[in-house]
Amino acid sequence: MSTQHANKAQLGDNNPSWLQRLIPRSMAKRWDRWLSKRLPPKKHITLSHRSIFILPSGFGLFWMGLIVLLYLFGTNYQNNLVIGLSLLLASVFHTCIIYSYKNLAGLSFNAVNPPIAYAGDNTVFPIMLTGHSRDKYHDTSHQQICLQFSQQRHVRVKQLQQQTLATVPFTHPTRGYINPGRIKVSSNFPLGLCRAWSYVDLDIHHVIFAKPEACDILLTSQQSDNDSQYEHGKLRPGVDEYKGLRSYVEGESLKHVAWKQWAQDKGMLTKEFAEPEGLPVWLTLANTSGKDLEQQLSRLAWQVDKLSQTQQIFGLILGQTVINQHTGEAHRIACQTAIATYQAYTNINPNFSPSSTNQNAEVK
Amino acid sequence: MKDNFDAIISRNTLFWLLITNVAVLSPLYQQATLWSIGICAICFVWRVGIYLGKVAAPPKLLVTSLAVGAATTLALVSSEIGLLNALVNLLILGYALKYIEMREQRDVKAIVLVGYFLIALTLLDQQSMLNTLHLLAVVIINTGILVSVYQDKSNKIANLGFSVKLVLHSLPLAILLFVVFPRLGPLWMVPNIKSATTGLSDEMSFGDINKLTRSAELAFRVGFENPDGSTLGPANQDLYWRTLVMENYDGKTWRQDQSIKTIQRQAYFQKPQREQAVVTANNRKIEYMVISEPSHQKWLYGLDEAFSDNNQIVELPDYRLYSLRPIDQRMSYRVVSYPNNIMELTLKDNTKQLNLALPPNSNLKTQALAQRFAQDYPDPQTRINAMMNYFAEQAYYYTLSPPSVGEQQIDDFLFENRAGFCAHYASALVFMARASGIPARMVTGYQGGEYNPQAGYYSVYQYMAHAWTEVWLEGQGWQRFDPTAMIAPQRILDGFDATFDSQSSYLQDSPFSPLRMKQYPWLNELRQQLSSLDYYWSVWVLGFDEERKQQVLSKLLGDVTSSKIALMMILSFIIIALVIGYYAGLFSINRNDDPLNKRYNLICQRLAKKGITRPQGQAAHDFANHVQTTLAQQHPAIAREFMALSTAYMALKYQPLTALQTRQHMQQFMRLYRTLRLRLLRS
Repeated sequence: MSTQHANKAQLGDNNPSWLQRLIPRSMAKRWDRWLSKRLPPKKHITLSHRSIFILPSGFGLFWMGLIVLLYLFGTNYQNNLVIGLSLLLASVFHTCIIYSYKNLAGLSFNAVNPPIAYAGDNTVFPIMLTGHSRDKYHDTSHQQICLQFSQQRHVRVKQLQQQTLATVPFTHPTRGYINPGRIKVSSNFPLGLCRAWSYVDLDIHHVIFAKPEACDILLTSQQSDNDSQYEHGKLRPGVDEYKGLRSYVEGESLKHVAWKQWAQDKGMLTKEFAEPEGLPVWLTLANTSGKDLEQQLSRLAWQVDKLSQTQQIFGLILGQTVINQHTGEAHRIACQTAIATYQAYTNINPNFSPSSTNQNAEVK
Repeated sequence: MKDNFDAIISRNTLFWLLITNVAVLSPLYQQATLWSIGICAICFVWRVGIYLGKVAAPPKLLVTSLAVGAATTLALVSSEIGLLNALVNLLILGYALKYIEMREQRDVKAIVLVGYFLIALTLLDQQSMLNTLHLLAVVIINTGILVSVYQDKSNKIANLGFSVKLVLHSLPLAILLFVVFPRLGPLWMVPNIKSATTGLSDEMSFGDINKLTRSAELAFRVGFENPDGSTLGPANQDLYWRTLVMENYDGKTWRQDQSIKTIQRQAYFQKPQREQAVVTANNRKIEYMVISEPSHQKWLYGLDEAFSDNNQIVELPDYRLYSLRPIDQRMSYRVVSYPNNIMELTLKDNTKQLNLALPPNSNLKTQALAQRFAQDYPDPQTRINAMMNYFAEQAYYYTLSPPSVGEQQIDDFLFENRAGFCAHYASALVFMARASGIPARMVTGYQGGEYNPQAGYYSVYQYMAHAWTEVWLEGQGWQRFDPTAMIAPQRILDGFDATFDSQSSYLQDSPFSPLRMKQYPWLNELRQQLSSLDYYWSVWVLGFDEERKQQVLSKLLGDVTSSKIALMMILSFIIIALVIGYYAGLFSINRNDDPLNKRYNLICQRLAKKGITRPQGQAAHDFANHVQTTLAQQHPAIAREFMALSTAYMALKYQPLTALQTRQHMQQFMRLYRTLRLRLLRS
């Protein structure tokens, strides 16, 4: 199957190359506007002549230099074969342009649901690449394709099968909604003489959870606070709520055996029931200590995860947002999403939208 | 832009680098000095060691000091081995040292680029068709390195295969560019390859021409371009390829005069002038193209009186053609000869003195003989004719292995040995003419030529080297007199081969010469065919110039205009790009020609004709069930077989299978496909 490899050489997060710095900001903006008009965000994108750019690479420029050098050399020595060699190299360049176009043309991209990610961690956005690899043209099936969000590390797809999942890395996102922006798809195939590239905006929207920070768990019960905090919201075996299945232990009541599963040849299982212990408890932003909002949110996020691990029932109050008491994975995600998006603007990859960087600055 | 690919060199690349190293360097063995070859060999062995994991990469300090040492040594010996040779060696060493020192992909790319340049350097010296094919293969291997860098294939042969494909796809455009691209003259002076000269030399003593008659090497070829389209040249006795004129004689050796040597030396900066030919209807002219083999000398060959409008060729006052640069590679040039032109109607005094001079007290017997001629025949014209007849009337013999001569060369030859070859007779005649008061000089060159009827050209070999005399006569200028024609008329009329047995002359020292095939008619035909191929190569590739370009273009386009050429280029560019795109698979992207789908769909189409259509997007499984229920009553066989076919189809499409299972399912699918196809047609 496909092999992927993230490059060790890492680009700085917000460190544009000297070339990019040379381009005036207005030009960059205009280019950006033109790109978004020409290559609008879509859920499914197939590359074609509209979206593929090809320019010689640095090595390609050296190659051209060699062509000129050989032509002069052949002319000075009046040697037709040397001139022929230089023209052959020029012609190879021309062939490479066609092949590098072919390498990207027809490649389709689909975004796959990204995994849960916390702020500050390295995360990935999985992209499904669909190509046309056919035996007859095995030489020129899509290969050596680099995928990269702007200012991020890249991932390389060495050889594309019919379908290949590429996990495009994204380092150190901040909490909140995220739109990682355009993916730069590039390839130097076949000889590295020219570089074919395109920008693919798959209109990805995702939530990055706040970075959890360990702290004491501070649960508040709004009705009363007679019991110790740790007892609140714990589940104990009971009859009220269905919790799940576990294997049957000899001697248990046959009332709780899951007969339906038994009939499906899944063995004897016992239905477990649980009921909440004590009074309903809340996690509140107001009661969470921290030097600023971010730290408070980080601590809240940690508590949500911790409580979910111990399967406690809790609710969340974040300013106006109230999430009622519950437990389980869905509840955890709901709480984390609420924390992540609390007073956060959409986190757009700053490099592609110069206008959005200002908004980010306002948040801080 | 930053190259995103990993900097690590893959093992395939390393393998191809090993192969390329040998492929690129081996054709350069002639230019490489012994110790460059040694260092290359050490580098290669070291690299093999690294490849096999036996040794570590050499320390950078060692490589750097080796490189500095090699460069210094080369700079010191450059005057000895020639500047270009020193540069070639420097490049070879740099290539070899970079090769063991490389660590990153950047180094690989540098090696590839230098590799192409080394191939170009090889082309300076080796231009035959076979060599070119060989070097094309080297280009492909060198390109293969880059392919192995960018193509992820564990298979080394696949890398090479793709490289072959890339280069072959590029050839048509390269050929087109080759035809259309402008050919310029040399833009600046460049150093030349220093190597041993072949062919005639600018001094001649008795033994020299004799040595050449032992050589079966090709000297040059000539294609005549007559206005009537025929390729036949003048008769053999008129094919005197004038090359050198020697006016100084010291009793042993003939030499060029210092004055003409000075003109030759300064030719690059001060073009010598010669009177242009009078072009009248009566003045017969012969047009031809000469393709000279590399002689590493500057003199060229031409029939009397030769003119060339090539800007690399000057016309010397002694009626010779002279190249501005040594002929280090095959060189073709056009010549127009006016055989009836009078050369030097009025002789300058100093030239006259020069061509009457004799070494003091030499060959007194001959001088006495000349005095007698002068008394008997006061008219120079009749006197020189009488001298010529003297050789015919007296008992003189023509031999390629003459007895040796003593201090008084000409006396010994004329009165003692009475046997010799062209150099002896020509020397004797010049000496006698000068002694009797007629200005005369020695001319060397080639006489004759072997006609190749297939390609219509003449081959002149080294063994056709010849020496004759020129005598200046009042009102006629310099006239050619060849005493050899008086002794061995066959040599001049029918050529060297008619006079001498090839085995005892030019084939003696070259046991593998293709000229040996001359004895067997059918082999000789094969030889001529091969050499005509080589001739066409020389004319149409090596000697392709602006004139040929015009010829080709006017054949293609009618009258050549720049807009027509531009249109042709654009059209060809598009067509070639489309063809390459087609072969790269560019146009089949959206065509679904998976054989499995194709066959399954065909069966579905046949079923549709029977009234069972598969709705768009219906799963194969559901459709199979539908067919089963519909056809179970009428055609149970079709229903059963289609179910099995669908099962095999779905298994092949969607299930993870081992190779064996795939084969079994495929066989099953194909068997059912064939029977179903026929059954659906019949029923």
